Amino acid sequence: MKDDLNIVGKRVVRSDSLAKVTGEARYTADLTFPGMLVAKVLRSPYPHAKIVGIDVSKALKVPGVKAAVSGFDSYGVKWGVFRYTQDHAMLHTDKVRYIGEDVAAVAAVDEETAMEALSRIKVDYEPLPAVFDPFESMKDGAPQIHEQYKNNINIHINIDVGEVDRAMEKAYLVREDTFKAAGEAYAMMEPYAVVASFKNGYLDLYMPNAGPHVRAKALSNMLKLPLNRVRIRHINSGGAFGGRSEVAPGDLVASLLAIKSGRPVKLVLSREENATSSRQVHDIIATIKTGMKKDGTILAKDYKVIYDGGAYSSTGPIATSIPFYVYEECYRFPNVRYNGYRVFTNKGIRGMYGCHGRAFLAGNEAQMDVMAKELGLDPVDVRLKNGLKSGEMTATKSKITSCGLKETIMTASEKTNFRKRWAKPSRLKGVGMGCVAIMCGFPMGFRSGSSCYVKINDDGQVTLVTGLVDNGQGNESMVIQVASEVLGVPMADINLVNADTEVTNLDPGAYSQAAAFVGANAVRVACENAREKIVAIAAEKLKVKVKDVGLKDGSAYSLKNPDKKMPISWVVREAFFRGEPITGTGSFFPNIDFEREWVTRPWGQMAGTFSFGTSIAEVNIDGETGKITMPRFTSAHDCGRAINPMAVEGQMEGSIQQAGVAAITEGNLWDGGYLLNPNLLEYKVPLACDMPDMDTIIVSSRDPAGPFGAKEGGLTVRMNAYSAVACAVANATGELFSELPLTPDRVMKMLERKKGVKG
Amino acid sequence: MILPQFEYRRARSVADAVALYKKEKGKALYLAGGTDLIPLVKLRLQAPKAVIDLKGIEDLRIIASRGGSLSVGANVTLFDLKKDPVIAAHFPVLIESLEATACETLQMRGTLGGNILQGTRCLEYNQSLEWRKARGFCLKTGGKECNVVRGAKTCFANYCSDNAPSLISLGAQLRFTGPGGERTVKLESLFTGDARTPFAMEGGEVLTHILIPLKKTKGAYEKLRVRESMDYPLVGAAVSVIDGKARVCVGGVGGAPRLYVIGDIRDAAAVRDVAEKASADAKPVANATVSPVYRKKMVGTLVKRAVRRALAEGKR
Repeated sequence: MKDDLNIVGKRVVRSDSLAKVTGEARYTADLTFPGMLVAKVLRSPYPHAKIVGIDVSKALKVPGVKAAVSGFDSYGVKWGVFRYTQDHAMLHTDKVRYIGEDVAAVAAVDEETAMEALSRIKVDYEPLPAVFDPFESMKDGAPQIHEQYKNNINIHINIDVGEVDRAMEKAYLVREDTFKAAGEAYAMMEPYAVVASFKNGYLDLYMPNAGPHVRAKALSNMLKLPLNRVRIRHINSGGAFGGRSEVAPGDLVASLLAIKSGRPVKLVLSREENATSSRQVHDIIATIKTGMKKDGTILAKDYKVIYDGGAYSSTGPIATSIPFYVYEECYRFPNVRYNGYRVFTNKGIRGMYGCHGRAFLAGNEAQMDVMAKELGLDPVDVRLKNGLKSGEMTATKSKITSCGLKETIMTASEKTNFRKRWAKPSRLKGVGMGCVAIMCGFPMGFRSGSSCYVKINDDGQVTLVTGLVDNGQGNESMVIQVASEVLGVPMADINLVNADTEVTNLDPGAYSQAAAFVGANAVRVACENAREKIVAIAAEKLKVKVKDVGLKDGSAYSLKNPDKKMPISWVVREAFFRGEPITGTGSFFPNIDFEREWVTRPWGQMAGTFSFGTSIAEVNIDGETGKITMPRFTSAHDCGRAINPMAVEGQMEGSIQQAGVAAITEGNLWDGGYLLNPNLLEYKVPLACDMPDMDTIIVSSRDPAGPFGAKEGGLTVRMNAYSAVACAVANATGELFSELPLTPDRVMKMLERKKGVKG
Repeated sequence: MILPQFEYRRARSVADAVALYKKEKGKALYLAGGTDLIPLVKLRLQAPKAVIDLKGIEDLRIIASRGGSLSVGANVTLFDLKKDPVIAAHFPVLIESLEATACETLQMRGTLGGNILQGTRCLEYNQSLEWRKARGFCLKTGGKECNVVRGAKTCFANYCSDNAPSLISLGAQLRFTGPGGERTVKLESLFTGDARTPFAMEGGEVLTHILIPLKKTKGAYEKLRVRESMDYPLVGAAVSVIDGKARVCVGGVGGAPRLYVIGDIRDAAAVRDVAEKASADAKPVANATVSPVYRKKMVGTLVKRAVRRALAEGKR
């Protein structure tokens, strides 16, 4: 692989940084259009109730109110990611299924008028019995949340590889534990926001989102508009973490109000609404049974995992599967059985989360350490022994084509003196290690690939057009950097037009970790195609061979005699004269087995490649209060090659906070169907003062298919940092956790349990 | 969430403030830093017709030594107080509780008076009107029973000032001016014991000064919280020691802080007894983010720890 790169691999200032730190960058709430209205949503006060009637007529009489809508104004088309999960009408005429569910909405000249109008809407409900616990929900006779799902089981994923029961019998050591974790809040800095306008039969939507094309498709279905008449526009996004992947009730509400009023409509949810009525994260209960040989080899795994799915399917089959896959992509499981159940309850809509699956993943890793200890083995050795290597297949038949797992384990453990410290922890101090692998993209049918169009303007400046999405992680800057490398044009001279369904082509979006591997690859190919055209003309003009032409700093030059050069703009002008402007298209479609289906055929190549990572947490526990402090956190991530190391480190640090430190603070609290902490005071996002010293290590395995060898940049930390914390607490206390987050009361219980055993 | 409409009045003096209050026929609330009041109004937990701003009253921003006491104007910000050399030299417990309050940006806004007179808090109470309507109103918001302890006719909301326990341990007094004139009371007798209406105050009274006996003390404040900043106390324990005698005050659990006296701080049995009694007296319920059983236990733990640190001259 080419290593003499000019800009890829360099620590460059991201293309979006200046606008964001100066406040110049515009977000949806900043937008104003002439005549724009403010929308407000009336929400269900019941966890489960029949809608007898909705009367918005009095709301419409409030001066300043321009439109009011309910489910009776929509076509009632139900959304679902899959044909078999279409159960979410977003605005309902039959019943409501959670507290905070969208029931009706108004658009008015200002917020106060809209609030006044909401109070005039009359909704007749007939309350129904509700259920909040997934185990209760699965029982016969429990309130049925959707007619079509028996026992409220939304999804059952069954994976069975090898002979699990026989392998368990043969194992030297078998252990079974159950781990729970509260669902988290996405708590993105920017709450849900949308501006919709409808003119001349075209609907325009501005909103932070992770996949404009799939969103446009969903809205075109729900509004019965041709796809070309739904245009999702580009706008900056204040974080997503998985919470903006799918079409949301607000999208439909704002669209309907815009269509009805004929005026632009802005809907911005409050922090509370963002927590109760945008998307939430699944609560998970994972029972994990592991059979190990005496030497630490994992012989068999048997899983039963319950996902509290809230009221609708959402990404159901995917959410029910991902925790398992990111683990089987990391370790070798000759025999494995996974039963994942996603169960409906009368709680908010749940979706995918960047840190999804902490009960399962932290449970696996912490249990592994306890078993290693019992066998007198070192957790580093156990992980190395069971870790997958390049060229191997996962249990469900995905081939690993590049793998830096071993390097991440080795560098992280050497830098922290892990082996020695783990073997002899000082009192109430511990170290713990978590590993995981991440698929870079997953099967999304024909939407799994990306494409790019590039044109070079007559001044030598470049315009890139791609469907790629940036949720704040720096994807836009990343592809500009890639184009800059290929075309030899400074980043500042490259404009990006992206994530606008009117002009950009399909892209997997920013929620399956595909942006670097797929999106940047398409940009690379398009730019290489344009480069060929530049080089051909430059070679002719400079009178050198094509292979002797280099492009750098906006010039084409002779590699042998660098003084021989010409500006790329001259090449471009010449190309215009010839009637063949310098443009290029390029696409990339990953090697995925499209016969794979989440429920019916859970095997085959999952993604084009996989990233690997290891985190090590160091914890100190206050023996009197159970409070955990984290002096240091070390994460090593194999991202293939870092296109911008500074951006990758940023992602890793953010992940240490959102998954690692959050493992001791964050969790949604419920009183039945009432979310008790729908605010940032009682929902405890870790603060700067809670953060450990961080050491981020980038491992480069140079993926053969990735752009310049790159894979996704940082998500492993988001799915192994909590494991490291759980393992460190086990190391410090000698006890396995039973529930996340590890708040001081729970840690105190662990310490008391340990004392009880001793006493 | 936007604020509802209210009239805004600016008071030039304490007398002016009381006159404005009378003029608004009692349907007004006093505003100082606003860090407690504004969120309550946004949540529609308070619905004043008028807000009377006290921030402009110069007299309430003065720290002065007066007749054996340090007189702190109610409008002195927590941050300014924290930086005051007299406070630092005499009241280590207060320095620690000030430091533990919210975060520095809020300390720069919030005042000592407002910190003392902040409302009691509960997971089921500090919620928006829509949330509370869906839930059904609790005892504190006019309902028939507590939403945390079903059937209970007592409100268990927590008084979460970090600084009131410290001030009680220091023997502080409060001076009020109201429609009925001036009065001075011990801080610990400000509390009614009913978390719905935690303060024994007449309508229209303005807290003007906090008077702290100006003696050198030893002391420490221990705060239980999940995060190292921003969070209100899950339990708070303040200890001040003068001439070997300790005053211990526990906050964060229930509607009023509780005061305990230890005759001889070096008497380990007496310390243990007070810690046990404080823990036994505390009646936490499931209205904060950690378990009530744990909070109850932590009352004793924090008292012992605060005493230990007070004796060790603040070392952690």
